Amino acid sequence: MTSLSQLASARTLALGDGRYYRTIVPGVLPIIAVNAQGTTLEVQRWGADFLAETFASPTWPSDAKEPISLTVLEVLNQYLKVDDVGIVKSTIQAAATIYPLVYRHTVSQPHDDGPWKLMLSIKSNILQRMDSAPPGVRICCVKFVQQVVLVQTPGMPVDPRRPEQNDISLTILPRDHPLMPYGNMEAEGSGLLDRLLDIIHGNHGEALLVTATLNALGMLIQRRPMIANRILSSVLSFNPLKLANSPMTPKSKVIIRSIERTTRALLLNVSRRNPDANLHARINQYLDRIARMRIDVFDESNRKRPAPTEPTDGLDTSKRQRLGAVVPNPAPVIPPLPPGPVSFRELYTLNTDANTANFDVQIFQDRETLYRILVPILHSVDEKKLGQALNIVRTRYLAKSEEAARNNANAANGVSVDDDEEEYEPDFEPEDAEQIINRLDSAPPDDGPGPASSAPLAPYKLPEAPPLTEQEAQRYGDMTIRRVFGMLSAIDDASMKSKGSKGGFNRLAATTYDQDASITILCRLATRSAAGLDDPDGNIKSEYEVAKKGSFALSETIRDALFNYIMYDWRRRIDIAINWLNEEWYNDQLQVQAARQKAQAAMNGDAANLPVPKSNYRRCALRLLDGMMAYIESSDKVLVRFISEIPELDREILQRMKKMAEDPERVSLSIMVLQFLYMFRPPVRDITVDVLEDMWRTNDRAKPQAKKLLSKWRPHVLETENEVKMEAMNGSYEVQPVS
Amino acid sequence: MSADPRLRSRLQAQQPAAVPPPPPPPPVDPQPMGLDGASDAVGQPAVDVVSDDKFKLKFCTVCASNQNRSMEAHLQLASAHLPTISFGTGSLVRLPGPTVSTPNVYQFNSTTYKTIHQELTNQNEHLYMQNGLLNMLGRNLNIKGYPERFQDWVPGKPRLEHAEDQGAAGTEAGVVDVVITCEERCFDAVLDDLHNKGGKLNRPVHVINVDIRDNHEEALVGGRAIRDLALRLNDAADKERETHGEGGWASGSGAARQGFDERVPDILAEWQENWPNMPALWSLAWF
Repeated sequence: MTSLSQLASARTLALGDGRYYRTIVPGVLPIIAVNAQGTTLEVQRWGADFLAETFASPTWPSDAKEPISLTVLEVLNQYLKVDDVGIVKSTIQAAATIYPLVYRHTVSQPHDDGPWKLMLSIKSNILQRMDSAPPGVRICCVKFVQQVVLVQTPGMPVDPRRPEQNDISLTILPRDHPLMPYGNMEAEGSGLLDRLLDIIHGNHGEALLVTATLNALGMLIQRRPMIANRILSSVLSFNPLKLANSPMTPKSKVIIRSIERTTRALLLNVSRRNPDANLHARINQYLDRIARMRIDVFDESNRKRPAPTEPTDGLDTSKRQRLGAVVPNPAPVIPPLPPGPVSFRELYTLNTDANTANFDVQIFQDRETLYRILVPILHSVDEKKLGQALNIVRTRYLAKSEEAARNNANAANGVSVDDDEEEYEPDFEPEDAEQIINRLDSAPPDDGPGPASSAPLAPYKLPEAPPLTEQEAQRYGDMTIRRVFGMLSAIDDASMKSKGSKGGFNRLAATTYDQDASITILCRLATRSAAGLDDPDGNIKSEYEVAKKGSFALSETIRDALFNYIMYDWRRRIDIAINWLNEEWYNDQLQVQAARQKAQAAMNGDAANLPVPKSNYRRCALRLLDGMMAYIESSDKVLVRFISEIPELDREILQRMKKMAEDPERVSLSIMVLQFLYMFRPPVRDITVDVLEDMWRTNDRAKPQAKKLLSKWRPHVLETENEVKMEAMNGSYEVQPVS
Repeated sequence: MSADPRLRSRLQAQQPAAVPPPPPPPPVDPQPMGLDGASDAVGQPAVDVVSDDKFKLKFCTVCASNQNRSMEAHLQLASAHLPTISFGTGSLVRLPGPTVSTPNVYQFNSTTYKTIHQELTNQNEHLYMQNGLLNMLGRNLNIKGYPERFQDWVPGKPRLEHAEDQGAAGTEAGVVDVVITCEERCFDAVLDDLHNKGGKLNRPVHVINVDIRDNHEEALVGGRAIRDLALRLNDAADKERETHGEGGWASGSGAARQGFDERVPDILAEWQENWPNMPALWSLAWF
């Protein structure tokens, strides 16, 4: 015991100042060694803990630790042979800390093989325990293996001038080291990493090992970029909720949540310290998926209750409806009428519930309220039930009237009857259905429903607003458009990202309330709403007369707004432009068709001089193209897409390419456009080649490229040109003759 | 005096107990005594205290500001004679201020509980007495000097200068075996920070979260729950040492063969059944 307190005071000294470790460790070693005199388990435990603590301590530098570490290897090796979990655990921790130090020592002293041999013996002892030792020991083995992987994987490039600053990694190991063959070390590191990764994909019942491994991997990802990707791929293919399939015990719940949370913490840490956006996306995707899975596994709040196990028959009606069970409607139990005279209320009361029966409709002071309740109820009346109820009441009524007739006969015979008989007046209407259905039948017959039912149920009309003046309409229209575009820009990014699956050809436009839908609606509003309205006759198909007169200006406003919207970010919004032009073109086609039909009808087939409706498509396409032209750079391949996807091309549009080629930087782009059109849009081939030829003739800088294509497409032009050139040569033409 | 009758009865119960006198909070302030640690030990069975000759795990309690929940737990564990230190994971110490949008904010590691107590007393004694802040600070300044930030802690750095703190005995080396956080945000912050620290000590640590809402009542209940958990854990660790002591683990059998570390999830699950309102999380991390 005395030695323990001595040891404790030595430790306190060292804790007070890290510099004392250098002297204390050699002093303590003989006492704590396994074969020391009078040693006890307690002393050895203390020794193992002390060694782990000593080398982990941040209070003294690692180059001071290095020589000391060599002296304790023997003791550690012995400790590993002691059968005590505490000692073994601490020893492995100490070994994990010392491993890089001994490695570095051996790198710099290749001929001092003693320490490395001891270290190898310790290492193989620890690795043997990896699979068989108690979990508490195995986690320490995991950490040791992590240290070995850290050391035996190439790290950051080294700086030979300051060896003490260098990260201890495979990078500092010379290729020709006599004790540590580079290849073997590297292979061992890689193999051990695989063993670590196997743990997380193994049996999750051992949550201790799994979380210990996950938490140890973080540092490897950070400090060894070479293997970071391999580790991450492994972690990202790992399912922390694997245990969820087994029965849920309190323990497995804690474990699943804990593993999931540990994985999340690791990935978030990696993602926070790593600027790679691609990686972020992968990690976020994984985390989202796991979060959804966790909700599936744990969150019972948004799950529906399981169906009740009770038989569906004999349930409450409302319940049965929800269950969707087809149960033959049991004939409603009708309480027999009390003998003797009855009131109308009793006659109509089919429901045994006293509360309903005693309901007094007179509590509705306001007739309007009553209408508001009654009208929807009447809508929801089940016809079958109503019929049944009517039949019941009818039977009752007939029975009662027979009885009354009998009574009358009796009365005629001089037998006294009750004085209530005037209640059975013939003016009673059996069709007064509200009462039955709503069970609001407590009102006395004379004052309750009588006036109410006779009141007209006229539909309520809003007072008509004063008519808008044309300017007002225009202003509101403009305002709406501005607002829609404002909204559009706001949802721009969000919806771009969430662009999910497209419905293909069968989808309906504008059904999804996203940006696409708004654009489609706007395009159609611009193109079709007022189409044909400038036609003096106004004889158009009904499809076109959606809008009222005056919104013709509106469609121009929308066009302007669309144009501005596209130009604001035309590279990204090129598909919107294409959509819009398609709509314009389609509408133009419809207009032409309509005009032709009209002309046919009017002139009986003479379509020669039909009035051509003005083409919005061409105007808009040129405007867009001219707008973009100012900004197009030589690298904007998006122009190729634009030109190739708009529905109709004519000479004037393609002339813009020629114009663009006047800028030497954009020559190749315009050539590319023409080439693309030639290859993929045969209908405009002629125009394309014409334009190209024109370009070749007039634009010197475009000449070489244009010539290349022309030689394939229209070689005879080149030949004639050659002749022209010969003449031009005489006139000191600057361009080199073409061979 | 606070309107809370519970606190008043404690105050009375605690009066005769010999408490080390608190460092005098400058203005007259009888309140801190109300939540002093000794009061919790009063009337509790002695089993709740770990005797000094037994093996002891070292604990660390963590909440956002190292004021309420972690300090209540710190007190509970320290009064069970378990080595304990405590931290906050926030960027600053935040305490409720005169309005919701104007909290009182202090630096970690430098502002003492005493200073904060003084400042709040000067600011509005009535208000902070009412909402229990002065009570809490009075309790805290008896436990340790100042709120500490988890992220600034260097594990393994000796804490000899904290010897006066409650529960300091056993934590001199600046490492612990179990970290108990009081909300998931702190749990995440602790795991994240341990990743950042890089596990240089190669020492395993069980990080456990016990979800406690941040108010005085819940902190009190949560503190007891944490004490219960800590005692269970310590018991298991102690058993491991006894069982495995002489003959090694091969000689044990059944549950006794299980070591402490692997039993932590079981213990946590058992504990959770007794304390179902404080959802627990756990992870084995590295210092």
